[in-house]
Amino acid sequence: MKNTIKFILIVLWLGFLSCKKDTKDPDPQPEPLAPVTGDTIKVIFEHTVNDTLVFNLNQKYVNPNLDTFKVSILKYYISNVVVTKTDNSTFAEANSYHLIDVSNYNSTVLNILNVPNGSYKSISFTLGVDSARNCSGAQSGELAPSDMFWSWFTGYIMFKLEGTSPQAVSSNKQLQFHIGGYGGVNKVQRNFNFNFATTPSNVSGSTSPSIHLSADINEVFKTPATINFATQSSQVSVGPNAKIYADNYADMIHFKHVHN
Amino acid sequence: MNKIAIIVLLFGVVIFGACKVDPKIIEPLPANNLVEIIPEGWPQPKYTYSVNTISEDKFVLGRALFYETMLSVTDSISCGSCHQDFSAFSHSGHKVSHGIYDRLGKRNAPGIFNLTWHPYFMHDGGINHIELQPLGPISNTLEMGADINPVMTKLQASSKYQGMFKKAFGTDTITSQNMLRAITVFMGLMYSYNSKFDYYKRHENNIDLTASELNGYNLFTAKCSGCHTEPLFSDFAFRNNGLSVDPFYQDSGRAHITGMPQDRYKFKTPSLRNVAKTAPYMHDGRFNTLNECLDHYTNGITNLINLDPLIPNSGLQLSAQEKLDIIAFLNTLTDYKYLGDRRFANPNF
Ligand code: HEC
Ligand code: HEC
Repeated sequence: MKNTIKFILIVLWLGFLSCKKDTKDPDPQPEPLAPVTGDTIKVIFEHTVNDTLVFNLNQKYVNPNLDTFKVSILKYYISNVVVTKTDNSTFAEANSYHLIDVSNYNSTVLNILNVPNGSYKSISFTLGVDSARNCSGAQSGELAPSDMFWSWFTGYIMFKLEGTSPQAVSSNKQLQFHIGGYGGVNKVQRNFNFNFATTPSNVSGSTSPSIHLSADINEVFKTPATINFATQSSQVSVGPNAKIYADNYADMIHFKHVHN
Repeated sequence: MNKIAIIVLLFGVVIFGACKVDPKIIEPLPANNLVEIIPEGWPQPKYTYSVNTISEDKFVLGRALFYETMLSVTDSISCGSCHQDFSAFSHSGHKVSHGIYDRLGKRNAPGIFNLTWHPYFMHDGGINHIELQPLGPISNTLEMGADINPVMTKLQASSKYQGMFKKAFGTDTITSQNMLRAITVFMGLMYSYNSKFDYYKRHENNIDLTASELNGYNLFTAKCSGCHTEPLFSDFAFRNNGLSVDPFYQDSGRAHITGMPQDRYKFKTPSLRNVAKTAPYMHDGRFNTLNECLDHYTNGITNLINLDPLIPNSGLQLSAQEKLDIIAFLNTLTDYKYLGDRRFANPNF
């Protein structure tokens, strides 16, 4: 006996019949890239300690609290890169998510492609991943779940620093800072904006300017909170304690210069 | 289409699963009528398939993945090991699930159905999206940092899965996003809305409730439905229903995620659909029977910290007969159509 089911069967064939991009798609497949000539801006991240020493993994440094430390892993997300022209028009990189991993030099150079010709005076971006991408399910590319993603408590680890310090209290002298939290008062994304109007960079068919930035590791441990590895050697959950590190790294990245 | 999928599957199992799985596939499992369903009167689901569209190939892939032991680091367990079809995809007889992962060792595996209505997943709501749910068990859980790359490498090396992903997503590259979306299509289509109670409500098949069931329903509406709200039989809110704190697990529930004192001992209200099939009960599987659950509500309320205002400190007053009636009613929530749905069965047996 076929019963008289009074249900509404809603069949969402929308995107199925025509494989068009759904406007609500939080994770569109990247468009095929047009051939690139000179319209690329390179954003180069150089890592330092106290803005003066070159930073290398597994090398000994001293933090502002005078604890010695070595870093074995340093990774963080840079997202939503926007460059602004001298006429105030802006260009936002599409699908703009970059995972910087200091162990991989190529990842420390962002190639912003297909930038319209013109004279640019500033760049802005976010350290971290916006809340939308933390809430819209499985992502791909740089945002594919990895060791920069918490699986039991959904969310990206936006900034990760691991290493050792003789001052650390943990049994194996480990430092472990996994900083995340995408929403609310304890969110850890931080915005950066650098103005170089005095030396605008020109994008034209033949030039490929590069913006040099430096990321100072000691800023993570300096202000407003001086981190003492004897009492603060691990932070692996979200909340007010994670925010301390975010407030610290909010001034981690500095502008150096632009090469045209 | 169906046939090709089955052949690919068969082929994969025979060639690649030979050392582990007996290659005795008797009959192909059905993968038909794959559509999103919103029963009349139900709210809009939280997850729609607008981006991750439903297709038979994705469903068949998702099913293979759900029962795939390669998804565990040790090649020993699959989702289906802890979520068994005959018990509404809960872990029958297991208070807490013992996988290879420590993290799972303190919680009871809930049933899986009507997932697209859940605003978040897990007893503490720690996972915010259905597509991300499989990452919890798949990933190595040392301090929550997921690394699914070893699992992806195994799948990428498998020609069975190369073929199935290609069919489902039209691309040669096997990505975690596509894996997660295929499992989501499979799990998300596990709908349960055809229990005796549903037929009664819809005036279908001339089904009536007995006097005891009806009395149970009325009591339930008065005492329980503030939290176990129709039609899903959960409002999915985090609440403390007064369970004593297990001294061993010390599970703080929602506070584990938020760190907020006002969330201590609150757990996601479970749906009571198919509840007769999902024993043992509560987040740590402490009760073996529905009777014990009702005894808890009548005289077991002990943890008053953040106790939900809908439950008096002295418990919900229920006589022995009333308990029997409520249990009779809860039994009408078993959906045999969903439980017997071969589309969700293990394709390897
Ligand atoms: C070792 C046993 C085990 C394995 C393997 C397992 N699960 Fe689970 N599952 C659980 C437990 C236990 C919970 C509850 C965990 C919690 O709340 O902390 C759960 C929760 C869930 C939930 C949430 C339901 C809800 O109501 O919130 C879903 C969905 C789920 N699992 C799907 C899967 C999928 C898909 C896989 C395979 C990728 C899988 N599970 C593998 C034990 C397991
Ligand atoms: C204040 C909200 C609230 C009320 C009222 C309430 N419950 Fe619950 N119920 C919950 C929560 C929350 C849980 C899960 C607790 C846990 O896992 O620790 C639960 C769990 C259960 C379970 C176990 C389900 C499972 O799969 O593990 C059953 C059975 C149950 N309730 C039945 C009832 C009945 C019957 C009533 C009415 C007599 C009732 N509840 C009243 C909130 C409530």
